[in-house]
Amino acid sequence: MRLYEYEAKKVFETVGLRVPRQYGVIHSPADLDALALEFPVMLKAMVMIGGRGKAGGIKKAKDLAEAKAIAEKLLKLVIKGYPVEALLVEEVVSEAGACYLGVTTNPATFSVIVMASAEGGVDIERVALEKPEAILKREIPANDATLPAATAREFASFLHAGLGGDQSLEAGLQEAVAKLYQAFQQYDCKVAEVNPLIVTTDGTPIAADAKVVLDDNALYRQGALFELLGIKESRHDVSELTRDEQRARDAGFLFVDLLPQDAVKDPEKLYVGLVPGGAGYGIFSIDEVVNVGNRYFDGQAVPVNFMDSGGGPTLARVAEMFHLLMDKEIVDVIVTSRFGGISSCAVFIRGLIQCLRDRHERGLRMLPVHGRMVGTDLPGAREYLTRAKAETPESLKDLEIIVGNQKIMADVIREGLAKGLEFRAKQTA
Amino acid sequence: MGRVPAHEGLLCHLIKYARPDLVEKIAEAQQIETIVVGLGRQGTRHAGMMRDFGTTVTAGIAAGRGGQRIHETIPVYDSVADCLSEHPQIAAASIWRHYSSARDAALEVIEARIPLVMLITEGIPMRDVRDILAAARARKTVLFGGNTPGVIFPPEGVKIGMLPDVFYPEETSPGEFGPRGVTIISRSGAILYHMSDALASAGIAQNAVLGIGGDAANGSTFQDLVPLTMAYENTDVVVIAGEIGGSKEELLAEDIGAHPEKYPKPLVALISGAHAPEGKTMGHAGAIVAPGQEFGTFRSKKKALEAAGVTVVNNQTDLIDAVKSKLNGKTYFEVSRYYDKMKTTWEALPKKPEWGTLITRVAPNSLLISGYPLEEIIARGTLLQTAHLLVKLELPSAKALETHEVAARKAARLPAPPVERREGQDLSAALAACFLIDSELAAIPQTGKDGPVGKTVFALGRFARYLAKLLGNEAALDAAGAKEPFSGIVYRAVTGEAELVTDRARMIETMIVASVDHGVTPPSAQATCIAASVRADYQMAIASGVGAITDVHGGAGAKAAAFFRQCAEKAEAEGIDQSDATHALLTEYMQRGQRIEGLGHRVHTQDPRRNVLWSMAERWGVAGPCTAVSKIVGDIFEKVRGMSLPINVDGVIGAIVADMGLRTDLAKALFVYGRVAGLSAHYFEEVASQPQMRRINFAEAVYKGKAARSFPD
Repeated sequence: MRLYEYEAKKVFETVGLRVPRQYGVIHSPADLDALALEFPVMLKAMVMIGGRGKAGGIKKAKDLAEAKAIAEKLLKLVIKGYPVEALLVEEVVSEAGACYLGVTTNPATFSVIVMASAEGGVDIERVALEKPEAILKREIPANDATLPAATAREFASFLHAGLGGDQSLEAGLQEAVAKLYQAFQQYDCKVAEVNPLIVTTDGTPIAADAKVVLDDNALYRQGALFELLGIKESRHDVSELTRDEQRARDAGFLFVDLLPQDAVKDPEKLYVGLVPGGAGYGIFSIDEVVNVGNRYFDGQAVPVNFMDSGGGPTLARVAEMFHLLMDKEIVDVIVTSRFGGISSCAVFIRGLIQCLRDRHERGLRMLPVHGRMVGTDLPGAREYLTRAKAETPESLKDLEIIVGNQKIMADVIREGLAKGLEFRAKQTA
Repeated sequence: MGRVPAHEGLLCHLIKYARPDLVEKIAEAQQIETIVVGLGRQGTRHAGMMRDFGTTVTAGIAAGRGGQRIHETIPVYDSVADCLSEHPQIAAASIWRHYSSARDAALEVIEARIPLVMLITEGIPMRDVRDILAAARARKTVLFGGNTPGVIFPPEGVKIGMLPDVFYPEETSPGEFGPRGVTIISRSGAILYHMSDALASAGIAQNAVLGIGGDAANGSTFQDLVPLTMAYENTDVVVIAGEIGGSKEELLAEDIGAHPEKYPKPLVALISGAHAPEGKTMGHAGAIVAPGQEFGTFRSKKKALEAAGVTVVNNQTDLIDAVKSKLNGKTYFEVSRYYDKMKTTWEALPKKPEWGTLITRVAPNSLLISGYPLEEIIARGTLLQTAHLLVKLELPSAKALETHEVAARKAARLPAPPVERREGQDLSAALAACFLIDSELAAIPQTGKDGPVGKTVFALGRFARYLAKLLGNEAALDAAGAKEPFSGIVYRAVTGEAELVTDRARMIETMIVASVDHGVTPPSAQATCIAASVRADYQMAIASGVGAITDVHGGAGAKAAAFFRQCAEKAEAEGIDQSDATHALLTEYMQRGQRIEGLGHRVHTQDPRRNVLWSMAERWGVAGPCTAVSKIVGDIFEKVRGMSLPINVDGVIGAIVADMGLRTDLAKALFVYGRVAGLSAHYFEEVASQPQMRRINFAEAVYKGKAARSFPD
């Protein structure tokens, strides 16, 4: 979970890393009147996206009138698709030098890696590419709770060498890097970053910007931090959920739309809804539909969704998984696979049949469902399916579930696509 | 079925990497011992499924539950260290703990130098994962996960984790498996099934299927495991299944480029996510760690792997084709064998419900207590030794036995609870009352490693005092010397004789030992088990069992004793053969419609306790006319009634009691005495290995204990 700048700064303050004085967060120019400001002040757009300085999201104001004018403009800004809804108002820090400090996990080794550069305040990614020697990186493989003093000293002298200036700077820099590291560990961060870390004219390092991404897996034990920041529940980092993604979330399973929410249907294409088993196969079956479509159907097949039922779904959840896709206008056919290792084929087939009967009775839109089931509780599931087809042939006429593994899923998908095309042709005729 | 020997399989090859010292022991024992750490719902369930598949699940680990058992047979230890002190050969562990405590569990396992660790737990905080990885690196642990579905080795028939059995090994002839095949390594569980299914449908065997885990950070990754499995002589091709996100595939490609000698065998990569929307990209800081490198996308993975010479596929059909061509069309088994196996597995009828006891195996004419034939125990064991065996399932050391002697003697010396036997009250009812109000017994702890056996031994000591009190023998008991053996104490309490006659004392103890147990089905054992299932305390549960021993159940000995004495007296008085006297009396009984007790048994035709009791009676010099009658009564009964109803253990004990000149109701006292040991064992087994308040169907009990073994001399 990503924190806003003002939240990240609060985090840094708790470990004693200096940040500029914060006057407050405003949502309208009028809010400025309530703040006790000492001019000049900085106004910073609160968006969770990098490069906001370049996009004109950070401005300095010398008095209240200018501040209000700037606030007016900034609050109308949209940065890389994110509308600016709040501004952070803070003290202006006089700087003698700017560095970069970052702590994260090395994705190759999974060890903590600490990075610093005396060339802060600019596009650090470019520095990394063009002048890698300007960045010092050290891994901490033992995962110490506090940064080993020798390493902290090494960073301090590296930064001091780059910044120049008085020898007395080093103590402050050493402390700053150690504190950032401490915050990273203490608050279970994925990323803790300061860019720029300003060294003021009197030699104090101050975190002029702050970025903190918390480890979602560890949020459960960061209750005190949530309280400090006044956050009630964890936030979503990624873009807003679509209508159906929200519907699935409410029903307790994971669903991702692969097409825009209101995508226009191309009559040349066959839109395939997927009810796979397991997250890994969920991703793989998307590829499989495209590949089979390319190989046998002139690339007509378009997968519509990713879905993960989670382990051992209930009957009601299985039914809802199918309801959701049948309610989705764009879907032409549903392909499903149940490899019942841990979860039960019997629950799966009952849920699916319940959905189809229910829709038939209520006169809702019905789509062909084609798939395969193998695994746990198969004999019971097969018997249920046979009986159900005999009892309510009308509502289950477009349901075909292959029982057992005489055909691999790729072949089942191929049949499913053929069936979808046939069904659609009948509908149009 | 011909499995591949444990030390020749790929699993052992992986263990060898981290702990070469274990290999020799594995070859010797022909098994790879594993433990299950974390016994919540999933851990417990999968412990049973692993065992059913064929994995040696030596123990479960759950703090505070040491001494219990799961699935009736798998012992539970409080800690990994406790387990290793008794089972030093543990070679693999699966961890099923909640993400908030997975770190501590993993560190405990890794630091105990268990070489192979399956971290099943999903969503462990990164900081904890880093601690786990640091420990694993230091110990060279082969760590799968977090969030691994586990590993499975079809040729050896071993799985560790939750993978369902959908795989097929090389088959050299029907039912004879070989170690060769393709090794599959995957990030996702569900893809593993679909990959294996695709390969098996083309006759391609999997010699191992390894899930490295779906979480962002995990232990062994592709560049650790691919070289390791390629170094295994029976792996022909390695297939990896990767997916978008992270950089594991790119790092593998980089390593292949840098160290091609580590990758001598063909490698195929199935990468999924070609058509998935781009997920969360790595953050700002990540891009600085590895500047200018693209990773995490399908394109980046495919490009990197292909540049390293790896065949990359994106669907099942291409996967089959690619692997087939690497194998030059070689297949490992008849495809129909795979389909048949899956069909059999999935269409198998549900297993008959059953539950297990490890204490006594009851079969017609055979009784084993934890594997030892009861007749051998009767001939050579003491009561305290047998009690220890019943409760702990192994014989005590000399030292433990000495401790028991002291404890039992001490218990017998303490004053009796204030119970008076009412006129006409069943002796067992009065004994049950003693258990219920005995504050000395109640004060003895029943939990902990030696709690159950300590409590049982103390109860057996107390029982001597109860008997002495109820039978009016307290003076004889109090005359015992401070160091008198426990058998002497029992003798005094039972007979009330102030003078200890060693041989007679031994005979008494022998008869008590003969009565200790007959499995879970006798009503007394059922009563105790039911009380135990609702976690009644020990005193209450034993009282329930003892109280259930009535004239109907366990009361035959006294009546048989009276009958045999009558036969012997008639022969004596009338100067006729014992067989004639018995024949005459039997006929009289029949004509009056009276039952003869001590004959027939619902399980045994030749009660295994019978002959040994007769020979012990000879040995201790107590066999007399009643014993002689007991040897012929079965045959005479058959002549009179025309049906075979051989003498049972109650009958024999009754006869010996009569020959010893003791009160006939002592036959029942001895029976109850012995059963206190057996009931204790059933009580503690129920508490340790079964869920609370379960619905007990006693007919579904199955002996799952030790195989037959010989009682030491």
